[in-house]
Amino acid sequence: MFRTDEIIKASKLPPEGVAMSRHIDYIYFIPILFVTIVGTFHMHFDLLAGDWDFWIDWKDRQWWPIVTPITAITFCAALQYYNWVNYRQPFGATICILALLAGKWVTIWAAWWWWSNYPVNFVMPSTLLPSAIVLDCVLLLTRNWTLTAVIGAWMFAILFYPTNWALFAYSHTPIVVDGTLLSWADYMGFAYVRTGTPEYIRMIEVGSLRTFGGHSTMISSFFAAFASSLMYILWWQFGKFFCTSYFYLTDDRQKTTKVYDVFAYATLAHSDKAKLSGGKA
Amino acid sequence: MATLALAPVFPVLNPTPAFAHGERSQEPFLRMRTVNWYDTEWVGKSTKINDVTELKGRFHLSEDWPRAVVKPIRTFINVGSPSSVFLRLGSKVNGTPMFVSGPMEIGRDYEYVVTLKARLPGHHHIHPMFAVKDAGPIAGPGGWMDITGNYADFTNPIKTLTGETFDSETMGTATGIMWHLFWAAVAILWVGWYMIRPMYLIRARVLAAYGDEILLDPIDRKFGAAMLVFVLVVVTVGYLAADARHPVTVPLQAGEAKIKPLPIKPNPFVVEVTHAEYDVPGRALRMTLRATNNGTEPVTIGEFTTAGIRFTNAAGAARLDPNYPAELVAAAGLTMDKEAAILPGQTVDINVESKDVLWEVQRLVDILHDPDQRFAGLLMSYTESGERLINPIWAPVLPVFTRLGA
Repeated sequence: MFRTDEIIKASKLPPEGVAMSRHIDYIYFIPILFVTIVGTFHMHFDLLAGDWDFWIDWKDRQWWPIVTPITAITFCAALQYYNWVNYRQPFGATICILALLAGKWVTIWAAWWWWSNYPVNFVMPSTLLPSAIVLDCVLLLTRNWTLTAVIGAWMFAILFYPTNWALFAYSHTPIVVDGTLLSWADYMGFAYVRTGTPEYIRMIEVGSLRTFGGHSTMISSFFAAFASSLMYILWWQFGKFFCTSYFYLTDDRQKTTKVYDVFAYATLAHSDKAKLSGGKA
Repeated sequence: MATLALAPVFPVLNPTPAFAHGERSQEPFLRMRTVNWYDTEWVGKSTKINDVTELKGRFHLSEDWPRAVVKPIRTFINVGSPSSVFLRLGSKVNGTPMFVSGPMEIGRDYEYVVTLKARLPGHHHIHPMFAVKDAGPIAGPGGWMDITGNYADFTNPIKTLTGETFDSETMGTATGIMWHLFWAAVAILWVGWYMIRPMYLIRARVLAAYGDEILLDPIDRKFGAAMLVFVLVVVTVGYLAADARHPVTVPLQAGEAKIKPLPIKPNPFVVEVTHAEYDVPGRALRMTLRATNNGTEPVTIGEFTTAGIRFTNAAGAARLDPNYPAELVAAAGLTMDKEAAILPGQTVDINVESKDVLWEVQRLVDILHDPDQRFAGLLMSYTESGERLINPIWAPVLPVFTRLGA
């Protein structure tokens, strides 16, 4: 079904080399790559979009669909660069969001439930997995990062709200408490005491966007899509910057040149390498 | 050095629960000169799971509000508790529900009642809190409340406007987890599709040597297209199903509570602080008060309260709520050079001393480290007929670092 044999043959590795490469895949993929993404991406995401994702009473029509995709697409773009450009593997975004959610669920059970005793529904995270899979699919099908930035990143953001409506629609059910109309999410946020988080901390439903004929969510989602597209381009370039190795070569006339092809270093003669030590690093 | 080296280890080897919230670490100017709490009550000091109780009281927003603290234009009455040990069923300030924050007026009084439902068993330290936007939460006095029973018995069913009954502990949990597991399974399938084949080293070698022609397997494109369609269909179906299941929804409510302060009560007793000093070694705040009684009955000073700490003399101690936390009361901590009642029409200068180790224990002595060395509090006096008169007082404080005559 797959071209695996053809690819292995083209790699010109002996059987033991192939076996070793698979061991390295397993050692690198889960323990190193995945855990590293859990740690770094989870921290990045929680610092920028944490409250919108932690609390059910922050998941509004305006800021939640704007902040979350824009924040989340960052690492997805960089990891897509790394996986696609170096290996032609189209799962960079999906593995990012999987790692993020793994970190989030550890936090939910360990910190929010076991330690702080908040019910799971109060701190239920949103999911971006469908958005990430679509982003990866667009990269695979177009094989073009510019088209992915335009089509994939837009779909990444646009899909966020409808995906999560399946999880959180119930939380907008109206209730009346003490003669006051609240959404269920408002009630949850009020009922479960957060000593250091008074109500005014919430950044929800503010700004001029909601004056656009009442269609806050759609406007927010399209704005998020536009911003996600820009963010994708920026972080793709970050991925390129951090995945590109280079060195400086100084020739006999003391002219220094920046060389990107690090493989060339391995092919240099020993005497040429010696010259490099006198060059700028 | 050994102590320093072992310091981080001790909490691990000998863990003891933290029972309070670091309220004493808040600067004295925050606790003394912003919210002057009084009549705080922890109703029902022992409750069973699911029982309803109250935290209530009054507060005065000090006229001596510090320059360093943002004015209370957006405030929220909160509860200081170790997590949500109580569920907050309702909160009223001067009879108005306070689900969202709102402005309050400096120099005015407010009465709050927070209705609580016991949720987590234990011995809990509970504070009223006054949160001011851009200034942070300001803790009121803390009292102990016990909850008995088993958390597993806790329920909180609420009827919605659509006629359904939601339980706040469980509503939406199963649906949320189901969707997370479903999408995780789809994502693992997507990544697993590539994991079952050589992933990194071999592909990198082939890519460097031959380009990507071999690596781009046609079946991957077919799988990718199918996955794209599948995801879009499931998202659409999920959205429409949720919309059909919950057709009536409202946005999150983000309004502003409009709360009128309590009416100003006529007070015939006028008090002004003409001098104040803090005796560091003596642990005493000494004030000189000029008091004028414009009323028709003699008035007796009974209590000085600040930061939830109460200094009383015999007159004040007789009126103390026995349930008020003893660790916040200096029952004989208030003395005066003229103990006699102030007669109608009389103006007197009285030297008042509030003296107790509580100044040290509650870390109010740190006022000496503030950039604005002032105090504020409430002076409670009583007429012969038993009416309580409340006078907010405030003044700069001069430190006395050595015992007089030493």
